[in-house]
Amino acid sequence: MKFLRIFIYIIVSTGISSYAISQDAKEIMKKLDDTIFAASDKQARVKIILEKKGETQKVREAEMIQKGIDKKRYRYTYPESQAGIATLSLPDGIMWLYMPAFGKPKKISLLAKSQAFTGTDFSYEDMTVNSYANEYKPTLIENTNNAYVVKLVPRSDKSNYSKLIMYVNRTNFHPEKIEYYDKKDRLYKEAVYNYKKAGKYWYAEEVTMTDLRKNHSTMILMTEVIFDQKLPDEEFTVEKLVPEEK
Amino acid sequence: MDKVAKYILKFRWVIIILVILTTAFLGYQIKNITINSDVISNLPDDDPDAVLLKEIAHEYGGNNIGMVILETENVFTTDVLENIVEITDTLSLIEGIYSVTSLSNILEIKSGEYGMEIGKLIDEYDIPDTQVELEDLKSRVLKKDLYRGNLISEDGTATVILFTVSEGADVTKVAKTVKKKVESLNIQDKIYYAGSPMLVTSISDLINSDLIRLIPISFFVIALILFLSFRSVRGVILPMTTAAIAIIWTIGIMALTGFQMSMISNNIPIILLAVGSAYTIHVVNRVNLERATDTHNTITKALVYIFIPVMLASLTTMVGFISFIFGSYLTMIREFGIFTAIGTFFSALLALTFVPALIYVLPPNKKAIERQRRRNKKSFLTDYVLAPLKRLLYIHPKYTLTTWIMLILISIGGIFMITRSVNIRDYFRKGNPTRIAEDIMVSKFGGSKPIFVLFKGDMQDPEVLNLMLQTEEYMKKSPDILSTQSVVDIIADMTEALGEERGIPDEREKIEQLWFLLDGQEYLQRFVNSDLSEGIILSKFTSPDNKSKKEFARYMRDYIDANSSDVATIRITGMPFVDVTMDKSLVRSQFASLTIAIIAVIIIVGLILRSFINGLYATIPIVASIIILFGFMGYVGISLNIGTVLVASVALGIGIDYSIHVMSHFSHTYKKGQDIYRALRDTMMISGKAIIINVISVSMGFLVLVFSEMVPLEYFGLLIAISMIFSGLGALTLLPVILILVKRKGKFIKTHNG
Repeated sequence: MKFLRIFIYIIVSTGISSYAISQDAKEIMKKLDDTIFAASDKQARVKIILEKKGETQKVREAEMIQKGIDKKRYRYTYPESQAGIATLSLPDGIMWLYMPAFGKPKKISLLAKSQAFTGTDFSYEDMTVNSYANEYKPTLIENTNNAYVVKLVPRSDKSNYSKLIMYVNRTNFHPEKIEYYDKKDRLYKEAVYNYKKAGKYWYAEEVTMTDLRKNHSTMILMTEVIFDQKLPDEEFTVEKLVPEEK
Repeated sequence: MDKVAKYILKFRWVIIILVILTTAFLGYQIKNITINSDVISNLPDDDPDAVLLKEIAHEYGGNNIGMVILETENVFTTDVLENIVEITDTLSLIEGIYSVTSLSNILEIKSGEYGMEIGKLIDEYDIPDTQVELEDLKSRVLKKDLYRGNLISEDGTATVILFTVSEGADVTKVAKTVKKKVESLNIQDKIYYAGSPMLVTSISDLINSDLIRLIPISFFVIALILFLSFRSVRGVILPMTTAAIAIIWTIGIMALTGFQMSMISNNIPIILLAVGSAYTIHVVNRVNLERATDTHNTITKALVYIFIPVMLASLTTMVGFISFIFGSYLTMIREFGIFTAIGTFFSALLALTFVPALIYVLPPNKKAIERQRRRNKKSFLTDYVLAPLKRLLYIHPKYTLTTWIMLILISIGGIFMITRSVNIRDYFRKGNPTRIAEDIMVSKFGGSKPIFVLFKGDMQDPEVLNLMLQTEEYMKKSPDILSTQSVVDIIADMTEALGEERGIPDEREKIEQLWFLLDGQEYLQRFVNSDLSEGIILSKFTSPDNKSKKEFARYMRDYIDANSSDVATIRITGMPFVDVTMDKSLVRSQFASLTIAIIAVIIIVGLILRSFINGLYATIPIVASIIILFGFMGYVGISLNIGTVLVASVALGIGIDYSIHVMSHFSHTYKKGQDIYRALRDTMMISGKAIIINVISVSMGFLVLVFSEMVPLEYFGLLIAISMIFSGLGALTLLPVILILVKRKGKFIKTHNG
C-alpha cells in the first residue's frame, strides 16, 4: 500500500509539476505581454539601420505612433527621397500606404507573412505579434539565474517558424533575446533586445535582428519615447496619413 | 652517353628509392584533387564578353541558379500546384540554398478590390481548387513576362522552380541534395534538372564515373596487347608500372599546385597510359636485343643506343601537347596541354632511369631472353603482313603513291564539310537527362543560354528605366528572344496597381517611393545591385545556331552604339556571345596549335636526321594522316569541339615517332650499303614490327574512350585511333614510297633499269 501511495504521489506530483511548468510558462508570457504591451499609447522616433556583414548599408528614420496593440502609424522622415511615406496598420491585418508622389493613400494587402518588412530582417510575422501568450504555445525549458528560457510554438499553421526560443528577463519580464527556428528546426534568425524603462513602462530602446544565413542584420533604435498621451483615434485614420499642410 | 648510362646503373638504388618515395608522396596528394566542370570559370580573362559574363554571374548570382523543371499535361491543376509548393518548401529547407523562386512563392503586385495587393501569386495555404480560380490564375500568369517563359512555359505544360546557391556553399553537395530530396517526394510528373549548379554537378559525375570505369579497362586492354606482342610478364609489368607512376606523378602535381580536373584533363591518365608505356617498351626491347657478356654491359649498351631516340620521341610528343597553350580559348585546354606534356616527360624519364635500374636489380633469366629472341625473328606480322607489304611497295611505288594522293584529295573535300560545335548540350549523349533538360529549356522556355544587358545608370531615373523598357522591346523583335525580364516590369506593375497607367512614372519621386516597397525583396537581387546604380535585363537565346548568334550580336551592338550614353552605359554579354568567340577560337586554336606543332616537329626531326629535307619527308605521312582525319570528320559529321580540337596535335606528336623510326632506320642502313631494297627490307622488318605493335596498343588504349559518357571524349578516342592507324600506315607505305621514288630519280634509277 505504501508503495502504491508513493507511486500515486509520484504520478500526481509529476503531473502537477508539469502542469505547473506549463502554467508557469503561460504566466511568464502573460507577464511579458503585460510588460511590453502595457502603455495605452506610445510615440517615438525610430531609426532603422540595415547592415550587411557588419557594414551599414541603409538608414531610415520615421516617427511612430501606436495605440493599443494593433494600431500603428509610421511616417518616414529619412532618407529624403522617401520622406513623407506613411503606413497605417489597423486591426485584422489591414494596412494603408501613403506615398506623397502618388497622392492618394492606398490600401494594401500583404498576402505573405514571411515577406521581409520593407527591406529589413524583420518579417511581417515578426512585426505583427500582438500577444506572445495567445499566439504561441509556451513551454518553460530552462530556468537560469538571469532568464527564463521559453520555447514558443506558433499556434498558426501559416507561421514560417517551427519554434521561437525566448530568453525572458527574470525580474522585469521583457525579452532579452529571441531565437527563430525555421520549419526544419534550424536556427536562422536571432533578435537581441535592449530594454529600457521610461516612467513606469519598459520599451525596447534597441533591437537587432540578424539573419544568420545572409549575414545581414537590422537594428531598430527608439528615442524620444512618450507614453500615454491619450492619442485620439482620429490620428489613426486614413485621412491623417496625408500631412496637414497639403 | 656512356657516362650517363653508367651513372644510372651506379645509382640504381637511389633512383628506385627516389621513385618510390616520390610516388608515395604525390600519390598521397591525389586525394586533394578536385573536379571543376564549370565552363564559366574556364573562360579567359582577355575576352571582354567573358569577363563581363563572369562579373554579372558573380554580382547577380546568375552562375548559382539551379532549376528543377516539372513537366506535365497542365500545370494549372490543384495537384500540380501542390507539387510545386512541396518542391519549393523542400528546396528552401536545404542547407546552402539561399533563395527559392517558383510560382508558389513569387511576388505578385496587382490592383485588387481592396486597393493594391502585394503578395504571393499563389497562397500556399489556400491553393486554387476550382476551375474558375485555376483559369483566373492561368490567365494572370501567362500575361506577365516575369512569369511566362521564365517560371512557366508558354503552353502551360512545364514550370520551373529556381534556386540560388549561397556564396561559398558546396555546389555539388547542394545539387546532390536537391536531386535526392526532390526524388524522395515521389512526384508523378516528369522532373528534370538544369542550370549551372546541376549541369556542373552532372558533368563532374560523368567525369568521375569515366575515370573509375575507363582507366581499368584501358589498363587491361593495353596490358593484353603488350602480352600478346611480347609474350612475357616483364614486357607487360614494366611498361604498365612506369605509365602508372607517371600518371600518379602528374595528377599528384596537379593536386599539389592547386589545379583541378576538368572535363578535358580527366583523359590525361588514359593518354599517358597509351603514350607513356611506349617508351618503356623501346627500352625493354632494346635490352632484350643487345648481346653482351653481363647484365651491366647489356643495359649500358642498350641505353647508349636508345637514350636519344626516346628523349626525342618524347620531345615531339610534348611539342604536340604544348602547342595547345597557344591559341586555345578555354583555360582547361591549356592546362590539359601543360600537364600531359609534363606527364609525357615523366614517362620518358622513368623509362630511361627507373626501368634500367629495375632491370639491373632484377635481371631477366637467360632462357627467357633466348626465347624472346627466337620469337622476334619469325612471326605472323613479319611473314604475312610486313613481307608482302614490302614487296608491294617496291614493285608498285607509283600505285601506292597514287592511292595516297587520291585518299588525300578525297579527304580535302571532307575538310570543307567539318562543322563546329560549342553547345554544351552536345557534350551529352542522346537520352542523357541533362541533355533532355536542356532541350526542354529550349523548346518550352525559350532557351537555356542566358543573355545579360547591363545598364550602368541610376535605377531610379525615369530616363534610364525607359531606356531599359525600350531595349526590351527592341530585343523582343529578334526571332531568338522570347521574353525579357528586368526591374522595369515590376515597376510598371506597381504603378498600375497604384491606380496609374501601366508604365514607368515620369517623376523620379514616384520611382524612389516605389523602391520603399521593393527594398529587400530577394527576387530583385537578380535585376539590380544593392545601391541601385546598375541593373540588368535578363533574357534567353533560343537558337543553338552560331549564325543567328552572330546576327543577334550585330543587331544588339548597333543598338547599343546608338543608345549608350552618359545617362546609362549599355553593355551586353551572355553565353551566345561567348559561344561566338569560342567558335572562332576553335578554328584559330586548331590552326595555331597545328602550325606550331608541325614547325617544331620539322625542326626537331630535321635535327635528329641531320637534314632538313629528311625532316620534311618525315612529316609528310603525319600531315597526310591529319588531312585524312579532318576529311573523315567532315564526311562522318563529327564536329570540331573542345575535345576533337585536340586530336590533330596529339596525333601529330605521337604519330611522328613512326616516321622518325622509319627515316632513321632507312638512312642508317642506306648509308651503309647504298641499296634501297636492303634498306627498305631492314626497316620494314625490324622497325615496321615495332610500329605496328605500337599503333595497335596506342589505338586500342584510346579506343577505350569510346565508352566515355562525354561525347567530346568519345570522339577524341575514336579520332586519335584513326589518326594513329593512318600515321602508322603512312610511315610504313607512303614514306618508303617517297624515299624509293626520290632515290630512284637519282643514280639508282639507272642501275635498276638498265
